[in-house]
Amino acid sequence: MNITIDSITKKYNNKAVLDIPQMEFQEGQLWGILGPNGSGKTTLVRIIAGILDSCSGNVLYQGEEYSDSIKMAMTLVFQRPYLIRSTVYENIAYPLRLRGVSEQEISTRVDDLIESFNIQSIQEQKAWTLSGGEAQKVALARALVFKPRILILDEPTSNIDPESIMQLEEKILDYYRKEKPTILMVTHNIQQAKRLCNRIAFMNEGKIIDSGSPSDIFGSGAMPKIEEFIKKGLI
Amino acid sequence: MDNFVSGFQDAIQLIISLDPEFFEIVRLSMVVSLTATFLAAIVAIPFGTWLGIKDFPGKRLLVRIIYTLMSMPPVVIGLVLFLLFLRNGPLGEFRLNFTATAMIIAQFVLVTPIITGVVFNGTKERGPDIQALARTMGASPTQTVWLLIKELRINILSAVVTGYGRAMSEVGAVMVVGGNIKGHTRIMTTTIAMLRNMGEYSLAIATGIVLLLISFLINSLLYHWQQER
Repeated sequence: MNITIDSITKKYNNKAVLDIPQMEFQEGQLWGILGPNGSGKTTLVRIIAGILDSCSGNVLYQGEEYSDSIKMAMTLVFQRPYLIRSTVYENIAYPLRLRGVSEQEISTRVDDLIESFNIQSIQEQKAWTLSGGEAQKVALARALVFKPRILILDEPTSNIDPESIMQLEEKILDYYRKEKPTILMVTHNIQQAKRLCNRIAFMNEGKIIDSGSPSDIFGSGAMPKIEEFIKKGLI
Repeated sequence: MDNFVSGFQDAIQLIISLDPEFFEIVRLSMVVSLTATFLAAIVAIPFGTWLGIKDFPGKRLLVRIIYTLMSMPPVVIGLVLFLLFLRNGPLGEFRLNFTATAMIIAQFVLVTPIITGVVFNGTKERGPDIQALARTMGASPTQTVWLLIKELRINILSAVVTGYGRAMSEVGAVMVVGGNIKGHTRIMTTTIAMLRNMGEYSLAIATGIVLLLISFLINSLLYHWQQER
């Protein structure tokens, strides 16, 4: 599903925190959204995900405005995911229950994901007893269970252990290769962006200052500003 | 100290004697407080939840008013209602003064801001995250409200327990609008106040002990219900 941004601006206390005149995230691309802290990455993906209102401009999804059918085909995994006060199994089943999927189908799909994520041992564990890495795996499994056409990931691997990071990256890539959705992933990690993404949007002060393939953005012809950020370790 | 010892003995005696007059006082206390808390919960839970997740002009002022009402002296509530219910008052035609209904209304007015405030605080803290989750999972508005109630159930239960505790222990407002009429509007707290005035200290303590026991039983039931879920 293509995502088209048309003159989006968002202000907090009369100060523009996001100002993007035009941008297109094409279907089947895995985008890395990079930039220093406060550059507007999270604000941008939250607007696209439809959870941040009161901004001016338009976001179109395959040419259509945000609607219930778009909402059902899109999801966002938060940096600190909120898991419902129930078991791991119930958390992953939750989006399917919202969609009225039969119990048999829920069982098949959730069991498949639990096996694929190798989290069988914690499937009956209560969500609030999980470690950060486990919680993030459950949040990603819950996001993938209904096969969204737009998957938005807001720093999904920050503050978790390296092994969990590897597993999550593998699951994101598996899903991408299999379903070819549009994926937007906010990350601070250039190496991660290079490993996973085929497109990069680089943000600074609420604007997308450059976009293209990872080699365009980080290669020999990189913008001086981006090189400066990398040198100073700001991303 | 003797009053406490004899108070315990009298409490046991009161319970095993099955004294009809005392049990009528216990029954009316429970009917008044549970009805008031139930009605307050119906109003305050949706209102507190809504307040916690919505932003609108004047919200801060409204929250401050609710916080103020949470600590409003019960006797003032009783007095205002008493004046409203006077025969020549705005609500005089309903003849509510010195009835159990007036006592329920007084406790309702007392408890509603308390439940609203506690629910609001819990929702303000976690409500936006729950709402965002519901939206990103594709939930409808009804499914979102249901998820909010389910996720905030412990906070909601705490609010109801706090409200019920306030209602059950309240004496000022119900004394003013109810009048402590024997067999009609006499409840446990007004009985304790009356016994104290009569110098019947051990019987007053005995009534207090029974009041505490009832509160303990009801709180235990609510706690058990919450644990089950």
